[in-house]
Amino acid sequence: MHEELETLLEMQDLHMQLRALEEGEVRDLESGLFDMGIEEALETLDQKILELQGRLEPRVQDRYRRLISAGNRAVVPVLGGVCYGCFVAVPTSWAAEADPNDKLNVCQNCGRFHYYPT
Amino acid sequence: MQLRDFFSTDAIALDLTTETKDETLRTLVGLFHLDEKSEGILFKMLKRRENLGSTGIGRGIAIPHCRSLVVNRLRVAFGRHTPGLDFKAIDEKPVHYIFLIVAPPLEVSNQYLPVLGKIAQFSKEPDVPEQLAAVTKPEEFLQLLEMKGV
Ligand SMILES: [Zn+2]
Repeated sequence: MHEELETLLEMQDLHMQLRALEEGEVRDLESGLFDMGIEEALETLDQKILELQGRLEPRVQDRYRRLISAGNRAVVPVLGGVCYGCFVAVPTSWAAEADPNDKLNVCQNCGRFHYYPT
Repeated sequence: MQLRDFFSTDAIALDLTTETKDETLRTLVGLFHLDEKSEGILFKMLKRRENLGSTGIGRGIAIPHCRSLVVNRLRVAFGRHTPGLDFKAIDEKPVHYIFLIVAPPLEVSNQYLPVLGKIAQFSKEPDVPEQLAAVTKPEEFLQLLEMKGV
């Protein structure tokens, strides 16, 4: 797997966790059932995201930031040859590669990073 | 929605002999048969979640959970560790029963929270730890879920 793709996946997972903790249901569950200190958790997640961001090339950082701050996902799966960000078919030459995750692929239509789940 | 429908018998490990919390999480993630990289990412995310606060909810039960794009649908696993593990649980007691739940960031049917809730509900039943200890094969674990009506 492409190193930056791995970092992006991790960052996005953390961002999703952060967003989820800012709202009702997950926040209640994590603090109620699991006794999590929410404010502290948000801060920890924030820091970790910044740390990971530092590992990306400026160009990749910018694209990620732009997408995620618009409230969108920055990395989306390609399932059945379709980009799950914009639901447009991805040219098959990419999908046919041995492991498409070895490259950092960007959707030609919506600009999101592509991830091919196993 | 019934919990048993989410478990497959090959994702139920009743005789864990792992030595640490990390090793246990890795072993349970392994039950999903993902590729090595995906397993690594998932393990890291679960660890991150544990670092925000242990998912050991007491009475020997832990429910590690996270969302990640490396899985394409909701996956659950169950592990039993008879000797007991240090999980930094809320009641500081060893953990014997581990329910692992992972889901993609967005699921069409939004099952992640309901499943997490059901497992929590199941775990709160007074006789559940005792019954989990008595299970001898994966099928019996599924029967127990069914019997409890979750
Ligand atoms: Zn797209």
